[in-house]
Amino acid sequence: MAISPGYFLKEAGVSFRRNWVMSLGAIITIFFSLLLVGTFVITGILIQEILASVEEKVMIQVFLKDGYAPEDLDPLQTSLVEDARINSVEYVSKEQALERFKEQTADSPEIVDQLPNNPLPASLEVELVDPEDVEAVVVDIKAHPNFVNLIANPEDPEKDLKYGAEIIDKLFQLTNVVRVVVIVLVAMLVFVSMIFISNTIRLAIYARRKEIAIMRLVGASNWFIRMPFLLEGVMQGLIGAALAIGVVVVMRQWLVPWLSDTLPFLPVTLSAGATAQLGLILAAFGVAIGLIGSIFALRRYLRV
Amino acid sequence: MIVMEHVTKSYAKDKPPALKDVNVDIEAGEFVFCVGHSGSGKSTLIKLLTREILPTDGTIVVAGQDLSQMKNWKVPYLRRNIGCVFQDFKLLPNKTTYENVAFALEVIGRSRHVIRTQVPEVLRLVGLEDKGPSYPDELSGGEQQRVSIARAFVNRPPLLLADEPTGNLDPNTSLGIMSLLSRINKTGTTVLMATHDREMVDSMRRRVIALENGKVIRDQDRGVYGYGD
Ligand SMILES: Nc1ncnc2c1ncn2[C@@H]1O[C@H](COP(=O)(O)OP(=O)(O)O)[C@@H](O)[C@H]1O
Ligand SMILES: [Mg+2]
Repeated sequence: MAISPGYFLKEAGVSFRRNWVMSLGAIITIFFSLLLVGTFVITGILIQEILASVEEKVMIQVFLKDGYAPEDLDPLQTSLVEDARINSVEYVSKEQALERFKEQTADSPEIVDQLPNNPLPASLEVELVDPEDVEAVVVDIKAHPNFVNLIANPEDPEKDLKYGAEIIDKLFQLTNVVRVVVIVLVAMLVFVSMIFISNTIRLAIYARRKEIAIMRLVGASNWFIRMPFLLEGVMQGLIGAALAIGVVVVMRQWLVPWLSDTLPFLPVTLSAGATAQLGLILAAFGVAIGLIGSIFALRRYLRV
Repeated sequence: MIVMEHVTKSYAKDKPPALKDVNVDIEAGEFVFCVGHSGSGKSTLIKLLTREILPTDGTIVVAGQDLSQMKNWKVPYLRRNIGCVFQDFKLLPNKTTYENVAFALEVIGRSRHVIRTQVPEVLRLVGLEDKGPSYPDELSGGEQQRVSIARAFVNRPPLLLADEPTGNLDPNTSLGIMSLLSRINKTGTTVLMATHDREMVDSMRRRVIALENGKVIRDQDRGVYGYGD
C-alpha cells in the first residue's frame, strides 16, 4: 500500500486529543500496572541475589560435645560425605574454632586472653548443594544412630544443630505472598486499563463514524479502517510503559544505592543489562495491553 | 455487469420480504433507472449490489463476481469498482471539496501523485474546478451532489450506483445532475439510478425497471415512469 504511516499517526493523534480524559485514564492505569510489574521484577531480582548470597552461607553446623568418641563421629561423617545432596563436610576442631574466633575479634584481643580455657566446641560444617534440602538433611542427621552420642544436649538437639532455615523459610514465604498479591493487583489493573482503552477506542470510533462509513463505501480495506484505532491503543500502552520505565530507571538510580547503604550486609545491585531487559518487557507488556484493549473494542463496536 | 437471479431479501421473518424473486440483467455500459414508490425496495436492491447486505435467497453477480460466495475481506476490493451516490451526499463536513474527493483515493492507498492528477481532473469533469477549497456548507445542494459524484467517480469505477441522487434537489438542479450522470455513462461506465422523479425518467427515455412491493413489475427499454400512478 502506498499510504504513508504518517496518515495513521495523524489520525491516532487527533483522536487522542479528542478523547484525552479516557486516554489519560488508560495511560495512568497502564502506567500503574506496569510499574507494579516492574517493581515486582526488580524486587524479585534483588531477593534472588540476596537469597543467593544467603544460600552460599547456608550450612548446617553440628556442634560436638567435648570428649566425644571419634569412632562415633566417623560413621556420621562418612554417611554425610556420601550423601549426594551434600557438597562438602568439614571438621572444625576446638583449636580451629578458637583461631577463627580470634580472627573475628582481632580488634579486642583481651576477650580471648581472658578466657581460662577454650570454651568453643568442635563442629562439623555441612555445606549443601541445594539449600532447599536443608530440612531433609537435618532430619537425616538427627536420625543418625550416633548423633545423640556426639552432642552435649541429647535431650534438646536443636541447641547443637544450627542452620539458616528460619531466614530462608521466611524469605520464601514472603516472596510467595508478595507474588500472589502482585499478580492479583496487576491482573486487576490490566483489566481496568483494558476497559479504559476499549472505551477510548469506542469513543474514537463513534467520533469517526462518518469517515468510517465513507471508507467502507469507497472500498478501504478492513485493516486500513482498523489501523488508526489499533495504533491509538498501542500508543496509549507505549506511553504508559514509557512512564513506568522512567520511574524504574529513577528507582535504579536512587533507590538501589540507598538500599545498599542502608543494608550494607546484603548485596543490592541491579545491572544495566537487567534494567534494559526489564524496560523491553514493560514496553512489550504495554503494547500487548493496548493492542488487546483496542482489538476488543474493534470487535464490539466496529463490524467490518 | 449485474446479474440477479431469483433474489429475495427478507429483513425480518414476520414481515413480507423487501425484495421478492427479482431477476435483473444489466449489461456493461447501460444506463438504467430503477423506479418505484417509497418502500418498494429500491435501496435494498442497491445495498445488495454493494454487498452491504446479503440476499436471503438467489444469486447476485457483479462485475463477474458472485457476491454470496465472496469472502468478507474481498468486499472492499469489490467496492473499489463501484461508485456510490446518495440522496444525502454523505460528504465529510470538516473536509474541503478537494479533500473529500482525495479521501476516497487516500483510503484505498493511492499514491500522492495519482491523487494530485486525478482529483483536479474529476473536479473539472463535474464542473467544480474552482470549488476545491470550499467546505460542503459553503456549497449549494447541487454542488454538494456534484462533489459526491466526483468522489464516486474519481477512481473510474466501471459501475456507478445512485440512490435517489436528485431527491433533495430542485428540478433545474436535478436536470444538471442527470446530464452529468449521462456524461459519465457515455465514458463507458454502467449507471444504475434509483429514483421516483417521474418527469426526469420520462424525459430521459432510458431503460426502466419498476419495482412494486419488492417485485419487478416492468422492465422496459426506452421506458417511462409508469402509467397508473
Ligand atoms: N434495515 C432494515 N430493516 C428492516 N426493514 C427494512 C430495512 N431497510 C428497509 N426495510 C424495509 O424494506 C422495504 C423496502 O425498503 P427500501 O429498500 O428502503 O425501499 P425504497 O428505497 O424503495 O424506499 C420497506 O418496507 C422497508 O421498511
Ligand atoms: Mg430508498
